[in-house]
Amino acid sequence: MNLKKILTSDDIILSLSASTKKEVIREMVECLHQRGKIEDKEAALQAIMEREKKMSTGLEKGVALPHGKCEAVKELVAAIALKHEGVDFGCLDGQPAKIFIMTLSPLNRSGPHIQFLAEITRLLKNKEKREKILQAQSEEEVLEILCS
Amino acid sequence: MNLSPHFYQKRWLIFFLVFVFVGLNTLLAQEAKFEMGHKMTLLVIQLAIIVIAARFIGLLFSQLLHQPRVLGELVAGMVIGPYALGAISLPFLNGPLFPKGPGFLPVSPELYGLAVVASIVLLFMSGLETDLPTFLRFSVVGSVVGLGGVVLSFFLGTLIAVLLLPGVNSFLSPAALFLGALSTATSVGITARILNERRKMSSPEGVTILAGAVLDDVLGIVILAIVVGISRVQIGGSEVEWGHIGTIALKAFGFWVIATALGILSANRLTRGLKRLRSQDAIAGVALGLALFVAGLAEVAGLAMIIGAYIMGLSLSQTDIASELRNRIHGVYNFLVPVFFCVMGMMVNFAAMKRILVFGVIYALLAIIGKVVGCGLPAYLMGFNWRGAFRVGAGMLPRGEVTLIIAGVGLSAGAIGSDLFGVAIVTLLIASLIAPSLLVKSFEGGSGLRKETLLKKEEAGCRIKLEFPSFHIASFIRNRIIEAFENEEFFVHRLNIDGMIYHIKKEDVFITLHQKEGMIELSASEDNRALVSLIVMEEILALKDLFEAVQKVKKPEMVCEELASGLLSDEEEKFN
Repeated sequence: MNLKKILTSDDIILSLSASTKKEVIREMVECLHQRGKIEDKEAALQAIMEREKKMSTGLEKGVALPHGKCEAVKELVAAIALKHEGVDFGCLDGQPAKIFIMTLSPLNRSGPHIQFLAEITRLLKNKEKREKILQAQSEEEVLEILCS
Repeated sequence: MNLSPHFYQKRWLIFFLVFVFVGLNTLLAQEAKFEMGHKMTLLVIQLAIIVIAARFIGLLFSQLLHQPRVLGELVAGMVIGPYALGAISLPFLNGPLFPKGPGFLPVSPELYGLAVVASIVLLFMSGLETDLPTFLRFSVVGSVVGLGGVVLSFFLGTLIAVLLLPGVNSFLSPAALFLGALSTATSVGITARILNERRKMSSPEGVTILAGAVLDDVLGIVILAIVVGISRVQIGGSEVEWGHIGTIALKAFGFWVIATALGILSANRLTRGLKRLRSQDAIAGVALGLALFVAGLAEVAGLAMIIGAYIMGLSLSQTDIASELRNRIHGVYNFLVPVFFCVMGMMVNFAAMKRILVFGVIYALLAIIGKVVGCGLPAYLMGFNWRGAFRVGAGMLPRGEVTLIIAGVGLSAGAIGSDLFGVAIVTLLIASLIAPSLLVKSFEGGSGLRKETLLKKEEAGCRIKLEFPSFHIASFIRNRIIEAFENEEFFVHRLNIDGMIYHIKKEDVFITLHQKEGMIELSASEDNRALVSLIVMEEILALKDLFEAVQKVKKPEMVCEELASGLLSDEEEKFN
């Protein structure tokens, strides 16, 4: 899967100002909305929060994958955000999440959604990659490290 | 103006000639129309009898005799063909149902044409079903085994022709070459079925046989191209020189390598183009059309058509549309392929075979030895013990479609007569009948390996096992998981064998889903663990939602009571 077709450096937030789970999701949705990728930001927020209610998307090793499906997007959209101090995201290992990958896909249309998340997860299995991403100085660098 | 009587005579003559010409032309046209109509009627009735007989005798073989259906279809052809019942004159047809065709072929060109189209579909499907990754993974040991079998079988086939056949005194004579080529190909279908039943498909012997059989088919097809080339030169009356053979071999091998490489390299681009059609039927139709086109191109290049069809299938075999193509083409395949086997059976001339009965027996015996020793010995050298080597040799015994196609091409080119064609078919029948029992028996006993060898067990990858309290719940979840993969634009294909095994494919991602009663198991490479885990996780979460939603609606008993009440109320009550 070619991530660069879905992600650009504009979809990356180097340092989130949010300090709670809800704030992280809202800030990331806002970023995508400002870039015109989401039409109805409340609907997008609701879809992601609904999914979080079922089970937290916080995985392990500081990675969280908030995602959802809704009519607020026309195609798969994604964003990456970093919070060096970490945010309590209900991760499986109890550790705070530092790298957030958000995905939103149209509700009733087929196309890669989980496949995108799986690809990112596969890449972030690499400890060195995770550390380099957190140390990156620019959005372009984050993208380069992730896709390399 | 006075005109001479000579002129009137001439004018009368011209008038007469024009009249005769127009009359004859009309008559001939009507005759041709009648001839064409008669040919088509005959073809349709022939096809009807072939389709019905092949089905019935095929079923008889598979269900009562527990033998492969193709053998039944071949026997059906022998029974209804022009050398048996088909020769009986039928009053409503003013002749026999299967009159002998012109040239070297005992069937009509129209019927043979249909068999050729069927062989293209058959080889296209074989190419699509080729397990290229398994072949590549076990290519070293598979190649050595396959090559050993091909070389020894070819050598023994040509040797016996030179030693025993009258008029054949050179290894390069068309008959010798064809008899050699006929011994080479292996049909893995029968072996695969047995290995699958015995759960030995992924055993070292199993993967060696599968990889070896792929190479055998490829080499068989390439050898056919070379043999056809040499035979054409010889039948044309020219002498064949070694340089010429080299050119033909190079051309055949070159076409094979370049076309296959081009095919595999451009397969993904082609697939993307085909997907734009946005209709699975249209994709399958165009792909089949391309297979016919490439088959035609191969023939134009001086090679056999099946090479083109096989290459096209092989190229698409690793794409994510391969399983969908197989599904869509299955209908055409099911109709045409029995016609092919039946027509091939029709060409067996028992009377002609009597003349070379001894030769036939020796040829069949050597064909079996050629494979068992030719494949078994290299298998032993590659680290199997004698038991394992025998298993590999026995697994390579069955002959199938490639052998038949080679025989058909040889017969139509006049390189072999109907007597040798019969010998080839009977050898195929004997080898395919012996192989299953030999293979089953050979797998009794312990390991077939002598020592640690080049053979490595298949990589385990990741396995995700889910246990559910009942078969119905597991089936429900299975369907949800399949739907989730389809929503992610994966192609899901249920394997046409007993049990619920699904292949889930997209580009280079390959996942297997297997349900056994209340258990679902998903296998994938380690790289795809996250994908499988996340999809299954999302579906289980969705299911939790679903159950909660059902509980919120009403008590199930109340819903059932509502549905059941009033089922027995009579009409009056309804209207009141």
